[in-house]
Amino acid sequence: MFKRKMLSALLIVVVMSLGFAGAIAAQDAGCVLEPGDDPNSCPPPGFESWDAVLEEARGQTVNWHMWGGSDLINNFVDNFYGPVLEEEFGITLNRVPLADTVDAVNQVLSEAEAGETENGAIDLIWINGENFNTLKQADLLYGPWSRSIPNSVFVDWDNPAVALDFGRPVDGMESPWGGAQLHFIYDSARMSEEDLPRSYAELTTWIENNPGRFTYIAPGPGAFQGTRFVKQALFEISGGQEQWVGPFNQELYDMWAPALWDLLNSWEPNLWREGETYPANRNELNELFANGEIDFTVTQSPAGATPDINAGLLPETARAFTFNDNMIGDRHYLAIPFNSPNKAAALVLANLVLRPELQAAKANPDNWGDGLAIDVTRITDPDERAAVEAALEDLGVGAAPAEDLANSLVSDIVAEYQALIEADWEANVLQN
Amino acid sequence: MATTQNLERTTSMQDAPVITEAKSPLAGVLRYAAIGLILLFLLLPLLTFLINAFAFRWFYPQFFPKELSLQAWDNIFAPNFKVGEALWNSTLIAVVVTWVSIIIGIPAARALGMYKFRYKRVVEFFILAPIIVPGISISLGLNINFIRWGLSGTIPGVMLVHLIPVMPYVVLTLSGVFANYNADFEDQARTLGAGPIATFRYVTFPAIFPGIMVASLFAFLVSWSQYILTFLIGGGQVITMPVLLFSTVPGGRNPNIAALSLVFIGPAILILILTSRFLSGKSAIGGFGQI
Repeated sequence: MFKRKMLSALLIVVVMSLGFAGAIAAQDAGCVLEPGDDPNSCPPPGFESWDAVLEEARGQTVNWHMWGGSDLINNFVDNFYGPVLEEEFGITLNRVPLADTVDAVNQVLSEAEAGETENGAIDLIWINGENFNTLKQADLLYGPWSRSIPNSVFVDWDNPAVALDFGRPVDGMESPWGGAQLHFIYDSARMSEEDLPRSYAELTTWIENNPGRFTYIAPGPGAFQGTRFVKQALFEISGGQEQWVGPFNQELYDMWAPALWDLLNSWEPNLWREGETYPANRNELNELFANGEIDFTVTQSPAGATPDINAGLLPETARAFTFNDNMIGDRHYLAIPFNSPNKAAALVLANLVLRPELQAAKANPDNWGDGLAIDVTRITDPDERAAVEAALEDLGVGAAPAEDLANSLVSDIVAEYQALIEADWEANVLQN
Repeated sequence: MATTQNLERTTSMQDAPVITEAKSPLAGVLRYAAIGLILLFLLLPLLTFLINAFAFRWFYPQFFPKELSLQAWDNIFAPNFKVGEALWNSTLIAVVVTWVSIIIGIPAARALGMYKFRYKRVVEFFILAPIIVPGISISLGLNINFIRWGLSGTIPGVMLVHLIPVMPYVVLTLSGVFANYNADFEDQARTLGAGPIATFRYVTFPAIFPGIMVASLFAFLVSWSQYILTFLIGGGQVITMPVLLFSTVPGGRNPNIAALSLVFIGPAILILILTSRFLSGKSAIGGFGQI
């Protein structure tokens, strides 16, 4: 085992010196379990083997702090993970609903400040982006572990969309739970598919022809869909997303940002309420759309409008569609704070959510309609693979075509742009 | 001093109905219109909650929902929604906080209401401080201490922190009662042979009882609706109704939010109704009228 660790460390050094891995392998991601390896050969830090994790986890309670604003998601967690944890692993699940993930981050920061290093309140956080970065930079996460758990072999860690969280390396400090991709929803009772805009250029024309019928979520903290929507426009007017990948580039930003603000400002006279105000979050945008005030809303779910139709949030005629390019997609993750008293149980849960049958259940729009964290082609068991593939095909009438989503997919870029775009949008568009 | 004040208030009370019961028909109409308007403003928001809680896919331009559903109620009363746990925690915390605040509040209010002493204004200011200073500004620092003392994430910790916003209301209400209180009656009881306990039980307590009911109502409601302090000190482990409500609202499912809100305000309204007879201005001032 020691040899393997040495070897993987050596390998990473070699790879890095070749400048090949670049941003991805900025740090040691810990012991990496490969398909076919004995799960016990690569235990997470602090444990002798995976069996030792299972043994210690028995009888523990895992306090999972997660955004609690969707009862679809809450029910999924309670009904699909709770019983399995209890019966199969002897673990009690305590889901703690949060209004905002940053509350959990602040809790960990407070505990660290108070010197609470062993008995933190939180065992597992549903996290990504800035929140993850804050805890990782402050060295307040347990790990690296996410490439050591048995089901990590189903995860395609070579995919930058998985290995990078908002453009920053995950480094084994969080493990994916699911995926999302920003795209749009229209009402098929109000407009036909042929009339849909398929790019920001076409959207600009559409807005001119349909004054007052479009708006987007104000970019800002807690409204990442709005920031993404603007970021995608930046990709299009600058000629593509590729040049934005990699470390933060102020020059590049300064070159293209003025054109972005010009474009968004040119929309304003024809936006909903003439752009005087913008919806603060997706719920507000959804409500305007559902009540017929505007003609488009956004979704993050591969099942498009289906979960919202089922929940009664959108009309039954709502359908999802994508532009031809630049639709940002990413993963969301689970992380374990450094002072979690039930790390073993947290590891078991993080491993459980990657189980193919549970990933398939999560993709079902009746349960949640979330994207996969795992790669279908890595599932070796034919029955499990069939179950996941079937789930992906049965996303309901509200879903956008899977090939449209795949063809337009781009990854998100480093978080520096996020804060910059949010501040500059406010200065140049909202207050203009 | 106290007696004249008492007298003045009583007379002004007696005058008041005479003015409003003037025989002009216009005044009567205006009066009912005003009552109607107040009821409308108070009840209309509740009505939309009531409709929303049973509506499904209720979009513009439907005036009333086309589809009705009990889905929201199924959702919020599903065991994993934790409404039961939240109601229990909220009730337990609010009841204990109310009792403790009254027990601490009575001596403090008596001192403030009945005695003059040096720096009384300063003491009053400090008692009022929690109303003036936003709770969030102290609770973050407080949280660190609570973690050190092992109170963070516990129900006693949450009860303790609720006392901060509750105490000003209790002390202020009760000190108003004691300002109109005549301690001579206690002396009289003592002269007649009553011990301190009997004096409190048969003289002091009945005299301030209406004030205690009003203070308790304030204490209960302030504790019942406390979110930020519960959340910070409870660390998400103590689920109360406001914590549940705040985590449900961002989900944007209006029927669930409406149903949960009704469950949240239900007990508060029930308690308001049960104590309403103590809420008239006269009894809240206290005094010896009922002895």
